[in-house]
Amino acid sequence: MPKKNTRTIPVTNKFWLTLDNAAKIFPAVINDELTSVFRLSAVLKHPVRIGALQKAVLKVEERYPYFRVQLKEGFFWYYLEHLPVHIPVEPDIGRYCKRFERGSLLLRFLARDNILSAEFSHILTDGSGAFEFFKTTLIHYISECEMEVPPEYLLKDPADMVHEEEYEDAYKRYFRQDIPPMIKRSKAFHIPFRLKTPPRYSRLCMIFPLDHMKQIATEKGVSITVYLASVYLYTLQRIYEDMNHSGRPRNHKKLRIQIPVDLRNILPSKTMRNFSLFVMPEIDLRLGHYSFEEIIKVVYHQVQLETDEKLINKNISRNVGSEKKLVVRGIPLFLKSMILRATFYSLGTSQYSGVITNLGKIAMPGKTGRMIDYFVFTPPPPNKMLKINCGIIGFGNKLVLSFGNVSTSGIFEQNFLQFLKQQSASLEVETFN
Amino acid sequence: MIKCPNCGVELDDNVNFCSLCGEPLLAKNEDNLAYLKKRKSEQDDKMMSDYQRLTGFQKRKIAWQISWIILLTGMVISLIIDLADNQRISWSIYPLTVSVVIFINITVILRLYRKLVLLLFLSFLSTASLLIALDIFAGRTGWGMRLGIPLLLAAYLTVYLLIFAIRKSRQKGLNIIAYIIMAAGVMSVCTDGIISVYKGGALNFGWGLIVLASTVGISVLLFYIQFRLKKVTDLKRFFHI
Repeated sequence: MPKKNTRTIPVTNKFWLTLDNAAKIFPAVINDELTSVFRLSAVLKHPVRIGALQKAVLKVEERYPYFRVQLKEGFFWYYLEHLPVHIPVEPDIGRYCKRFERGSLLLRFLARDNILSAEFSHILTDGSGAFEFFKTTLIHYISECEMEVPPEYLLKDPADMVHEEEYEDAYKRYFRQDIPPMIKRSKAFHIPFRLKTPPRYSRLCMIFPLDHMKQIATEKGVSITVYLASVYLYTLQRIYEDMNHSGRPRNHKKLRIQIPVDLRNILPSKTMRNFSLFVMPEIDLRLGHYSFEEIIKVVYHQVQLETDEKLINKNISRNVGSEKKLVVRGIPLFLKSMILRATFYSLGTSQYSGVITNLGKIAMPGKTGRMIDYFVFTPPPPNKMLKINCGIIGFGNKLVLSFGNVSTSGIFEQNFLQFLKQQSASLEVETFN
Repeated sequence: MIKCPNCGVELDDNVNFCSLCGEPLLAKNEDNLAYLKKRKSEQDDKMMSDYQRLTGFQKRKIAWQISWIILLTGMVISLIIDLADNQRISWSIYPLTVSVVIFINITVILRLYRKLVLLLFLSFLSTASLLIALDIFAGRTGWGMRLGIPLLLAAYLTVYLLIFAIRKSRQKGLNIIAYIIMAAGVMSVCTDGIISVYKGGALNFGWGLIVLASTVGISVLLFYIQFRLKKVTDLKRFFHI
């Protein structure tokens, strides 16, 4: 078991951090379309009180000094440097998940009517880390609206309590040197839709009753994540089968879906930065048509298998190991970025056909919970190979799926919804953009 | 509690503007919008003179007109004096030619200030023609082709590189001075070489190299001050591996 990290943050202007292992790829591939920015929104029962929000943000940002950083270029690597400005609170009128400009912070708050949102760059943190921060802000927002804060969320002086463990690269902590390398996966099928003209990113959200969805999944003996991932694969299979024979790809017949896993649930860590990996259940269409039941079985067992602690360790070690090689470290940044850009598509995205991220069912302390209707998790814009991805979040009795799409077609979402309705005719759904 | 008509968030009762999007709250104070507009236009009026109100194009046109009036006046006066004195065009050919070339250069700069390469090329052509013309007027010793144009070319290329470097640099401070000093050094080497070819027929560098070496030394010092001392990036952070 790795040792506990109890050092605290040096709160000075010279404070800087290296990027964590998962964040290293992002600065090399980010552009106006592929922004690596995701959004968390809380849809409140009343309009946002802007004065209270601004006060809450000012309070909370003191507690999370490691989020007030900007991206800088070093000679060998990018790094994060302390930027002593306040986290911006902006009117929510432009595009979703807009890129963060150079020299600015990597997060922002947005407000419109009764929707309170925060956008984060993936360089900074992952969905779980961001949600923890967002939750704290919400609780303090509610307290500014004259309600009390539960004791575990009271903010103390940051110098007293911000431990290095919160902003360390937790991947490095669980890295072991003596682990065998990973076998390379073959290329996967990709949705053949045409890309939209920029700005490409659009979003479609669906709200389902959570208890009903839970019941459908339980009937199949699986969790909601596994169930929806299976629907995702089934929809991909249908898109493949609907293509005419000459148009189907000859070699890339594997359907693989990436399901990010929050490693904090498996390996103990308090880190607020990226600490997730993914499992990739797959079906091989060369073996013929899969029924939905078969897909559920495959996904369920593969997820069980791949979330095994030993296998997770192996993946961490593979990722961190390549970063630790002196040959890799010694390449100047501009060359490294070129190599990363080239391998992002060829070695990364080409291996899977879709992404489905479930942030899970959110628990909020009583009073805060009563002010919130539901949450929406808008996934980062998918890249042009993937074209579509999906983010899920549940709160109260509302399960919200939101599909990010950069293509001209909405057929995937249509098929997805149609299939869910087939499975349970009484399933209610509300859609919005 | 009141709501912003633009972004829909709730605001404190005693505000006149939305603190999120800046929209004036008309329900609260109906004169707000009119007052804002009036005040802004008043301020603009106060701030700007007639000249400031012109567009960039109009300003450049005025500059162009003023310069041709001055140049033309100078040309006419020198021509009249020359004719009255000598009853023919003698020395006035020099101010006339120079004025024409200056006029061409001003026109090119005002018209093509965005297209740097074309601007420098046309300017170079006109100035080179001037050198040849001056050579011809002075009795065709051939210095124009063998000395004037190479020096001119070197100067134009150096200036082009200098402008390019300045435009490309993200920080503008002592590093700009360093670039200018280095350009002077490069120009010295070129001048030295071209003069040696013109005089002795062979390429020899003497004083030019000494000048270059010292300018490089000074520039390195200036770069160091600009990038290391002024910006407190510690080396550990920048070079972490």
